[in-house]
Amino acid sequence: MVLTWPVRMSDTRHTRRRILTATGAIVAAATLSGCGLFDDEPEPEPAPDPLQPILDEALALAAAYDLAAQGDPALAPFAEDHRAHAAELAGLIGTTLPSGAAAPPSAPAQQAQSKADLRAAELAAQKTAAAACVAAPADRAALVGSIAACRATHASALR
Amino acid sequence: MKEQLAAALAAEEAAIYAYGLIGVHLNREAEIKAARDSEQVHRQRRDYLVDKLDELKASAAPAPAGYELPFEVTSRKTALQLAVHIEDGVCQAWRAVLPVTETNQRNSALSAMTDSAVRATAWRRYAGATPLTMAFPGRPG
Repeated sequence: MVLTWPVRMSDTRHTRRRILTATGAIVAAATLSGCGLFDDEPEPEPAPDPLQPILDEALALAAAYDLAAQGDPALAPFAEDHRAHAAELAGLIGTTLPSGAAAPPSAPAQQAQSKADLRAAELAAQKTAAAACVAAPADRAALVGSIAACRATHASALR
Repeated sequence: MKEQLAAALAAEEAAIYAYGLIGVHLNREAEIKAARDSEQVHRQRRDYLVDKLDELKASAAPAPAGYELPFEVTSRKTALQLAVHIEDGVCQAWRAVLPVTETNQRNSALSAMTDSAVRATAWRRYAGATPLTMAFPGRPG
């Protein structure tokens, strides 16, 4: 004859079945959380820094001026300004620049842009930076503001 | 914020004073017009700042009757140099307003700062100075 009713544990008010079930649940939970902590579940990607687009633009503009400066050396200082922006932004974001700080690897093989194209690119980049400046926390506002203003001066100097 | 706005006001007052002097020593039409336009813009900003400081119930120090110039203005060349110097100073003053303001007010400060940086570039071009631009307009020093 098998006893099917719960067996009362000697000096607690819990039944043995309840204790076993609870123990099982704890083990299961530990195993599951162990999975998340130590196994192959990838870390969620951190959201990109809001200044990343400004950094990308700075690198793209620097590359465009490098190319254009081959035909017009007077444009070289503009590339330097953009590289200086990229370096400061990378420091602020805590990222490293691609080696050589030239064009991003995905940039297609290009031909030098006209001054009108460069000017249009500067004005578009100025807008992005101005919006980022207004949205930025106080400790970033001045740097991003200077970058926006610099892009505006480039556009006016290309006129 | 009062402190930064008051400093911007002082820079704008100095600009208004300087452009009066600059205009006297210019003789090319485009440059005279640029000086006149610049003075107008600085007057508008002065009025904006006086309003903002009123709203904050901050009394701005009365504008001094004269300003100590960084160098003597005796010619077109020195007049153009002073214009560059003045716009650089205004640009620095507005840059300091950015961290202490938000949204619309920060946007206004950025517009003022950008406008001064662009004017400084134009004056450098008239003066034949190089480089025309700097990487971080308004950054002190």
